Amino acid sequence: MSSVDLEAKIPNNVGLRDNKRLMMALEKWQPKFLDWWTTVGPVDFNQHNIYLRTAVGVGQGGWAHFDYVKMPDYRWGIFLAEGPADRKIHFGDSIGDKVWNEVPGEFRNRLRRLIVTQGDTEPASVEQQRLLGHCCPSLYDLRSLFQVNVEEGRHLWAMVYLLQTYFGADGRDEAEAMLERHSGDQDNPRILQAFNYPVTNWLDFFCFTAFMDRDGKYQLASLAESSFDPLARTTQFMLAEEAYHLQTGENGVGRIIKRTGELMAQGTDPRTVGALPLDIIQRYVHFWFTGSMDLFGGEDSTNAAESFASGLKGRYRESDGIYKDPKALNANYSLEVPTEDGKIERRDIPLRRAMNAVLLDAYIADCKRIVERWNRELEKLGVSERIALPNHKFHRYQGVYSGFKFNPAGELIDEATWTHNHTKWLPTQQDRDYVNSCMVKVTTPGKFANYIAPPQQGVNDKPIEFEYVKFH
Amino acid sequence: MTNRLCYVCEGGDCTEKGSGDVFDRLRDLIKTFDPNQERIKIRRYPCFGACDQGINVTLYPDKVFYSQVTVEDLPAIAKHIQGEGPKVDALCGKVPPDVEQIIWDMLDSPY
Repeated sequence: MSSVDLEAKIPNNVGLRDNKRLMMALEKWQPKFLDWWTTVGPVDFNQHNIYLRTAVGVGQGGWAHFDYVKMPDYRWGIFLAEGPADRKIHFGDSIGDKVWNEVPGEFRNRLRRLIVTQGDTEPASVEQQRLLGHCCPSLYDLRSLFQVNVEEGRHLWAMVYLLQTYFGADGRDEAEAMLERHSGDQDNPRILQAFNYPVTNWLDFFCFTAFMDRDGKYQLASLAESSFDPLARTTQFMLAEEAYHLQTGENGVGRIIKRTGELMAQGTDPRTVGALPLDIIQRYVHFWFTGSMDLFGGEDSTNAAESFASGLKGRYRESDGIYKDPKALNANYSLEVPTEDGKIERRDIPLRRAMNAVLLDAYIADCKRIVERWNRELEKLGVSERIALPNHKFHRYQGVYSGFKFNPAGELIDEATWTHNHTKWLPTQQDRDYVNSCMVKVTTPGKFANYIAPPQQGVNDKPIEFEYVKFH
Repeated sequence: MTNRLCYVCEGGDCTEKGSGDVFDRLRDLIKTFDPNQERIKIRRYPCFGACDQGINVTLYPDKVFYSQVTVEDLPAIAKHIQGEGPKVDALCGKVPPDVEQIIWDMLDSPY
């Protein structure tokens, strides 16, 4: 592993100075990235000073530096996590072999697709959230938004580094295409549909970071197990930054629920004071949680089986050794499958084919944890209503449940029942209009919009009333 | 290689309370009797969701959930991990049982 070079035009710990061809390729891509950032990144805030965390290293004892920075001047760098030089493949068919430092020819296309799909989500989310700054509920939250945005930009750099370094001309073309596709663009949209929805209010944003970014955590974690060592180390470091994004979402929705709970405990209808009622929050949770589950792909997937067998993608925390068999052979996964005659039957499929489902199960368990946490806040306030996570079969467009209608309890229902009830379960235009009407811009340090409680603490030991964004 | 794990929470609240320092010091203490992680692996965990009771440290598959951990508690925790001391009861039972169970459910894989 090379030492960290913070003086280079592109900060890195991958020895760019010693690889002139790669450095030139990345320096050629850099102005295009900056042009992308100023054209379709956050609108109107590029000249302001934001108190941001910047990655400056990967070792123990602190990897980030906090200071005011204008976003276009942010030091987007390329960092790989440290790891043992003799790392071995720890799952799949080639267990015990040395990990790869080059892309094996037989896995080239599959690896490229994995990296491009992951990489495409990074700029997509920045584009989706570009207007949010104009209705921020506080300076604290505005800063959080931009922190998430710049780090998603850095994650794009991480994926582009892999493409430019290991995939030759194809990789360079893919790196260009990352900046050419745009979220919601009718002609050239982002690869995954969920990354083409606009995120126009802060309930959407917090649900996005709580649920969609959490999907990202599980995808990154499975890639962090990869036998392709540069990919594993790149994604390991991305996970360190991603943790903050998840926390932003989990705490953000939690703070909205807390504020609603406080008002309900006082006997105040949240709608009368510009806050968000629990039934609307529930519908947003339904929408974003179910959309996020679709990103895991089909529950029964030969692609997933091949990626596991070949050592490209492991299970969540595979290297911790929490699974019984690192080869995942001779075991089945019991999958509930809808049948033509309107019933649900359990079908055993080989475990390797169920790798997407296994990863999804880990994700759902994590989401249950955060919803429980939100509900404990309501309980503390003496409010009896609760937020509930819907069943995993509800409102699905990918996998074995797509094409069927289920209610949030997971019961198979007919089309008429769905049509009659779906507006009770998913956000309506009326809900969206109401939520948007609550989005007042608050930029006085220490003040918060009335629909959200303040956080428990500020950033990097700063007080909550700290001036996280300077407009002058 | 062992499958016994020590997880130190690095969620936002635990990090604010100093879980990074707890992780480093506990890792160093464990290294003194288990330098190659043959008896236990120590890892960071994104969040256990028991934020009010942080800093949280868990032992798995022992299913021991230590809460409100400070650096002063670490020698006793390390001795327990080493098998040279008892479970530190004063740090257990602070988290509601259902919250603990969610964590064990997350870590228990049927596969």
